[in-house]
Amino acid sequence: MGGSWFSSAFGKKCIQYVLVLAVALTINFALPRLAPGDPLEFFFGESTINELTPQQRQQVEHELGLDRSLWQQYADFMTGVFRFDLGSSIKYGKPVTEVLADRLPWTFLLVAPSLIVSAVIGIAIGAYAAWNRGKRRDLLFLTGMLTIESIPGFWIGMLLIAVFSVSLGWFPSFGAVPIAFTGGGMEYVLALLKHMTLPVITITLATIGGNFLLTRSSMLDTLGQDYVLMAEAKGAVKRSLIFNHALRNALLPVYTHITMSLGILVSGAVVVETVFSYPGVGRLLYESVIARDYPMMQGVFLIITLGVIAANLLADLTYPLFDPRARQRKQVEESP
Amino acid sequence: MSRIGSKMIGWLGAFLLAIVLLLAFVGPYLVPYDASEQSGAPFQPPGKEHWLGTNDMGQDILAELVVGARTSLTVGIVAALLATLIGTVVGLVSGYSGGFLDAFFMRIVDICLTLPFLPLMIVIGVYIGPSLLTQVLVITLVMWAGKARKIRAQTLSFRTRGAVLAARSMGAGHFYILRKHIFPSILPLVIPQFVQAVNVSILMESSLSFLGMGDPLSKSWGSILFYANSRSAFLTEAWMWWVIPPGLCIVMTVLAFSLIGYYLEERVNPRLRAYQAPAAKRDRRLAQEKLAAVKPAAADALLDVQNLTVQYPKDGGTVRAVDAVSFALRKGEVLGLVGESGSGKSTIASAVMQLLKPPALVSQGAIYFAGSDLTQLSSEEVRRLRGNRIAWIPQAAMNALNPVMNVREQLAEALRSHQSMSKDEIAERIDEVLAQVGLASRWAAAFPHELSGGMRQRVVIAMALVNKPDLIIADEPTTGLDVMVQVEIIKLLKNLQRTLGLSMVFISHDLPVVLSLADRTLIMNQGKIVDQGNTLALAKTSTHPYTRRLIDSIPRLTPALEQRSLQGQGQR
Repeated sequence: MGGSWFSSAFGKKCIQYVLVLAVALTINFALPRLAPGDPLEFFFGESTINELTPQQRQQVEHELGLDRSLWQQYADFMTGVFRFDLGSSIKYGKPVTEVLADRLPWTFLLVAPSLIVSAVIGIAIGAYAAWNRGKRRDLLFLTGMLTIESIPGFWIGMLLIAVFSVSLGWFPSFGAVPIAFTGGGMEYVLALLKHMTLPVITITLATIGGNFLLTRSSMLDTLGQDYVLMAEAKGAVKRSLIFNHALRNALLPVYTHITMSLGILVSGAVVVETVFSYPGVGRLLYESVIARDYPMMQGVFLIITLGVIAANLLADLTYPLFDPRARQRKQVEESP
Repeated sequence: MSRIGSKMIGWLGAFLLAIVLLLAFVGPYLVPYDASEQSGAPFQPPGKEHWLGTNDMGQDILAELVVGARTSLTVGIVAALLATLIGTVVGLVSGYSGGFLDAFFMRIVDICLTLPFLPLMIVIGVYIGPSLLTQVLVITLVMWAGKARKIRAQTLSFRTRGAVLAARSMGAGHFYILRKHIFPSILPLVIPQFVQAVNVSILMESSLSFLGMGDPLSKSWGSILFYANSRSAFLTEAWMWWVIPPGLCIVMTVLAFSLIGYYLEERVNPRLRAYQAPAAKRDRRLAQEKLAAVKPAAADALLDVQNLTVQYPKDGGTVRAVDAVSFALRKGEVLGLVGESGSGKSTIASAVMQLLKPPALVSQGAIYFAGSDLTQLSSEEVRRLRGNRIAWIPQAAMNALNPVMNVREQLAEALRSHQSMSKDEIAERIDEVLAQVGLASRWAAAFPHELSGGMRQRVVIAMALVNKPDLIIADEPTTGLDVMVQVEIIKLLKNLQRTLGLSMVFISHDLPVVLSLADRTLIMNQGKIVDQGNTLALAKTSTHPYTRRLIDSIPRLTPALEQRSLQGQGQR
């Protein structure tokens, strides 16, 4: 049983995720040590380090283990990670994990609704365009979606701010809630929604093209399959041809793509959260880059990698619900 | 129609690209200002002196755009070239060599594809320090893996092609084969990969620059926007000419490459061309003058095909896949349709089922079924007949079942499409029809991938029988099955025909099988019926040279013997 688990598709995937995590951790470990400059600077910031006397400096290096062998340091680093000890943020003066925990919910608040809206609209239009392949409306949607796909997310955000925040004043342009908010429950929710609106529209627009294109090409593929022709030959109504036969099969790769993009979106939100100064993980990465807060930066990179792996796992685990071919094979009995 | 559409997309892309190239190469001669020098008052709106106005430091925005064009295009193209080059080499070597090397490279590719690329780029960019080279390196690092995977998949499909195997058997070296055989076949696929890589890397470059990771010394469109954002362009009116033009430049360039890439990809990828939207009804009914040549249906005929011609456009002209074919089928009769592949026999099946795929269409003739001309019915009227009174057993039954629906659901759908039945009645009918094709009722819960090829074909036959049709069109129903399974399926069809009194058009290139099943047989060649008659008479006495050749090529003695041996095999 053990051996077969490792060679099973899911086992292979799990090994891959462990490797990805190891690579991400190693990058985290190696970069400050390989990069030109003083590693101490990377951990505490330039100004702090310059104030130290040589003795103090040596002591700090000793405490951090920087005077030990590279392998020893690597081992220490790895055990630290598994105890959720990612060091302290220079900018916030708090443990990195604590800052991350504050920021993560905000990112989910943006990503989850955007993903749902973008998936629903992208799939609907993609399937519609594929069904009308080659007609004028297909070409219009196709060029339209390729155009939306070509717009950088931050620029969409900037234009939305210029029009809807600055000129019209309908929506706030930064933050997740007003500073020093005093209102009650309902008002709080309303303010939250107002702050979310523009970023959610931005992320939706930035991801909708991908969902459209994937659905369209997947649907074109299934529409050309023999089973759709067979369904037509048995007299199935058009609605069933589209939904039960073509779309249901076409959605399998789309489902995987969307679930996996959950993880990637956390990182994709870097740009959008930066434009809207939204206090999520992405903005945190940007802030720690600007402040050269290296421990924080590494922490964010790590949490994003974990997010990607979690999303991949989710896709792998839930996929068999939709595709019977991926389920545990039943005993196939020979002879009818 | 779609051809024209995708060509238009290609031309639109080329047009946009031309504008961008003009900006990058002719721009410097048109704009008299240096992008990094103050050349006017701050926040000057677009006008005679500064066509696109100035920014907060009085720099000319058009001059910035021209410099930005060069930076963005350079980073985009160089990174895409590197990524495509590395991806192609890894993909070629990996796909060609297979084995350990392949597994090793693909593991790396998988890992690279799973890593979150944007934060990785940012983190690496921060440590190495911002510069154009950093941007090119990190974008390449992010993109090569996807390219490698695509090229590998293509290489795998070319590796076992005849020419490659022949060259290898003649002792050609690996490098020679890769260079002379595989690379030239891969090249048309590498080009769209490269073009698509350019648009992705230009987008990445702009995002990186927007986050302040660009080279501080060379302006790009992304870094213009970075400065506009961080220096509060929105507090003034200036955002209109400071923020919109660089963004438009990015959109135009990325769109140009993605349109061209889409066009190229569609040209080389046949999968994307497989499906065409159903033609409008008036297209299908084209050429109504055809009716002149048609008589009313013969009274005793279930199916009466008169002067049927199916054509499709090719190379500017039209090709007749079926050319003025007439035949009739009485109730309870089995009509054999024999011919080589390409003789038009399957096209006749599709025409009768009204399942011709555009651009093929019935240009002349009539197909009378039970007195009404199928070519004149509305699509809803045709749907009510299909699977109900006329059923179809397709070739390639391996893929004729929907992989995500079980057997019961697919049979039930055929029933519900034509009659209203209670759940119990449906279940009962499904059990009954499965028994008729020799499947136990427990198989109703199975999914297609759990069935063998022969069992799938039985399910397909059950699907044809489930509504008790008047006519069955069996289009090479044993293609792709093992010989033994073929024999079983033929025997099953024969039994069903006898016990249920089915009327059937049986299409095959396998003359002995047709001889054993059909009452009458038509011989087709190049879209025309060349010979026809009572099956036994045809086999024994036909003098038509084509028929004789077909019959003489059967490696058995007589049809009668063939028939007996078939039954003998079936009973074992």
